[in-house]
Amino acid sequence: MSNMKDHTLALNAGQMSKFSLKLVASSIFVVCLAIFPFVITNRFYISLVNEMLIYGLLAMSLDVLLGYTGLLSFMHNAYLGIGAYIVGLFLIHVAPSSLWLALLVGIIGTSLISLPVGWIQVRTGGLPFALLTLAFGMMFYAVAWKWYSLTGGDDGLMGVPHPDITIGGWVLGNSGNPTAMYLFTFAIVLICFLLTWRIVHSPFGAVLETIRENEERASFVGINVRKYKLFGWMLSCMLASISGGLFILYKGYIGPTTMHAFAGATVLMMVLLGGMGSLWGPIIGAAIFIFMQDYISTMTEHWELFVGLVVILLVLFMPRGFSGLCDHLIRFKKE
Amino acid sequence: MSGAIATSVDIILNSLVLGGVFLIVAIGLNITYGLSRVMNLAHGSLYALGAYAGYTLVSLGLNFFVALLIAPLLIAIVGLALERTIIAPMRKRSMVYTLILTYGLMFFLDGLIKYFWGNEPHFIELPGFMRQTVPILGTHYPVYRLATLVIIAAAMAGLMLFLGKTKIGVTLRAASHIPEMVSCLGINMTFVHIGAFVLGCILAGIAGVIAGPLYTIDPIMGHEMLISSFVVIVIGGLGSLRGAVVAALFIGVVQTLAEFFITDLAMVIVYVMMAVILAFMPLGLLGEGRFE
Repeated sequence: MSNMKDHTLALNAGQMSKFSLKLVASSIFVVCLAIFPFVITNRFYISLVNEMLIYGLLAMSLDVLLGYTGLLSFMHNAYLGIGAYIVGLFLIHVAPSSLWLALLVGIIGTSLISLPVGWIQVRTGGLPFALLTLAFGMMFYAVAWKWYSLTGGDDGLMGVPHPDITIGGWVLGNSGNPTAMYLFTFAIVLICFLLTWRIVHSPFGAVLETIRENEERASFVGINVRKYKLFGWMLSCMLASISGGLFILYKGYIGPTTMHAFAGATVLMMVLLGGMGSLWGPIIGAAIFIFMQDYISTMTEHWELFVGLVVILLVLFMPRGFSGLCDHLIRFKKE
Repeated sequence: MSGAIATSVDIILNSLVLGGVFLIVAIGLNITYGLSRVMNLAHGSLYALGAYAGYTLVSLGLNFFVALLIAPLLIAIVGLALERTIIAPMRKRSMVYTLILTYGLMFFLDGLIKYFWGNEPHFIELPGFMRQTVPILGTHYPVYRLATLVIIAAAMAGLMLFLGKTKIGVTLRAASHIPEMVSCLGINMTFVHIGAFVLGCILAGIAGVIAGPLYTIDPIMGHEMLISSFVVIVIGGLGSLRGAVVAALFIGVVQTLAEFFITDLAMVIVYVMMAVILAFMPLGLLGEGRFE
C-alpha cells in the first residue's frame, strides 16, 4: 500500500517538475522577448523580430486550420492582406488616429469577407477545399492588383498614418517608433497565442481534432462537421486579420505581392518548418524562415528554387518539423 | 450587320481555342488525380516547361510540328523521374503531404525555368503558312488558331482511344476503381501509378507547346493555367472526364465573353460562376463524389 502511494507521489512529482519546467522555460522565453528591445537597441534587429512575431501569428493561424482542423489553405496570406488593406483604408479615409477601432474594423471586415468564402469551401471536401483556397486567394490577389482606385494597384497602399498606441488613456508611444510597435506587437501576439491555446485545448478544439482524425466518425457521433469546419476557418481567418492589422501598422505599406501565391507558400513552409499541430512550432518556424530569408536573399536571386527545394526536402524527410524534432529528442533522452 | 457576325464568329472561335487549351491542361491534371489519386500542383509548371521546351526545340531549327511531338516526350521523361523520386514515397501518407510537396515542386520548377530561360517573355516562331489568316464569314481568322482546334481534337480523340480501347488504358481505368482487385490480377500497381502520372505530364507538355504561339511564354504562365484548370475540374467534378470537357468549354466561353466586354475583371467573373455552381452542387456538374 505504502509502496503504491510512494509510486503515485513520485509520478506526481515527476509530472509536476516536467510541467513546471515547461512553464519556467516558456516564461523565461516570454520575458526575454519582452525585454529584448531594451537590451538590443539596434533598430534593424527590433524590426526583424517584429516581423518574425507578425508572421508567427499568421503561421499560428494557419496551424489552427491545418494542424487542428486538418484543412489545408494555400493562401492564408490573402487574409493577412485583406485585414491589412481594411485597417490601412480605415486609417487613411476614416479615422487616422483610432488604432483600436481600426483593428476591430479589420477583424470584422475580414470575417465578413471570409464567411461566405468559408461557407462555400466547407461544402466541398478536403481536396477541393484546398484547391478552392488557392482559387479564392488568387481572386483576392487579382482584386487587390486591379482595383487601382481603392487599393493603389501595383504600387500598393501607401501613406498609411501611424496612430499613437494608447491603452486606456495611457500612451505607449507612436506606432512608427520601432520599440513601441515591437512591444505592442508582442503583447497582441502573446494574447492571441494564449487565447488560441485555450480555445484549441477546450472541448471545441477536441471537436476540431476529431474532424481532422476522422470526418466520418465525427459526423456519426453527431458533430455537425461543416459547422465546426466553418468555425475553425473563421477563427483562423480572424487571427490572420489581426496579423494583417499589425503588418500594416508596422510597415505602413501593403502591396499585392504580399497576397501572392508565392507568399502563401512561404507561410505554409513556416508551418511545416515549425511542425503542424503544436501552435508554438509555427511561430518558431516563422522565426527560422524569416531569418533564413533575410540571410539568403542577400546571397542569391534564385530564392524560388531554394524555397521549392526546402519544401520538398522537409516533406520527404522531416514532415513533423521543428516541434516534432523536439518531441523526438525528449523521447530519445528518456529512453 | 456583317460586322456583328464577324465579331461573333471571332468570339466563338476564340472561346473554343481557349476552352480547348484549358481542356488539355485540366484533363491532364484530372487524369493523374482520377487514376492514381495524386493531385499534382506542379502541373501548371510542367505545362510551362513544355512551352519552354517547344520554344528551345523550334529555335534550334526544328519544325514546329516535330517539336510538338518531341517536347511532350521530354516532359514525360521529367515526369517519370519526378514520380520515381518524390511522388512515389507520398502514396503512403496523407493527401496533405502530396499537396504541399507538389506545391514546393511548382516553385522549384519555376525557379529552374527562371534560372535557364530568364524572366523575359519568349515567342515560338511558326512556319510561314501557319501565320496566314483565312476569311471566315467576313472575319480573317489565323490559320494557326484553327490548326490548334484540330490538334486539340486529335489529342482528345487519341486519349479517348487510349483509355477506352487499348489494354493499358483499360487497366489504368480499372485500377482507378478497385486498386486491390487489379493488383490481385497480377498487375504491378507501380506501373499503373507511373502510367497515370506520365500520361498527365504528356498532356501538360502538348498543351504547353500548343499555347506557346497563342500566348507569350513567361515563367508565370503556368500559375494562371493551374488556377484555371482547378476551376475547370472543380466545376466539372473531380475525376470526371466528361465533366472536364463541359466545364472547360464553359469557362472558355465565359472568360472570352468577359474579356471582350469588361476586360479587367474577367477572372473574377469566372470565380463567381464557380462559387455559384459549388454552392448548389458541391460535387461539381458531373462529379461522382469519389474524392475524400
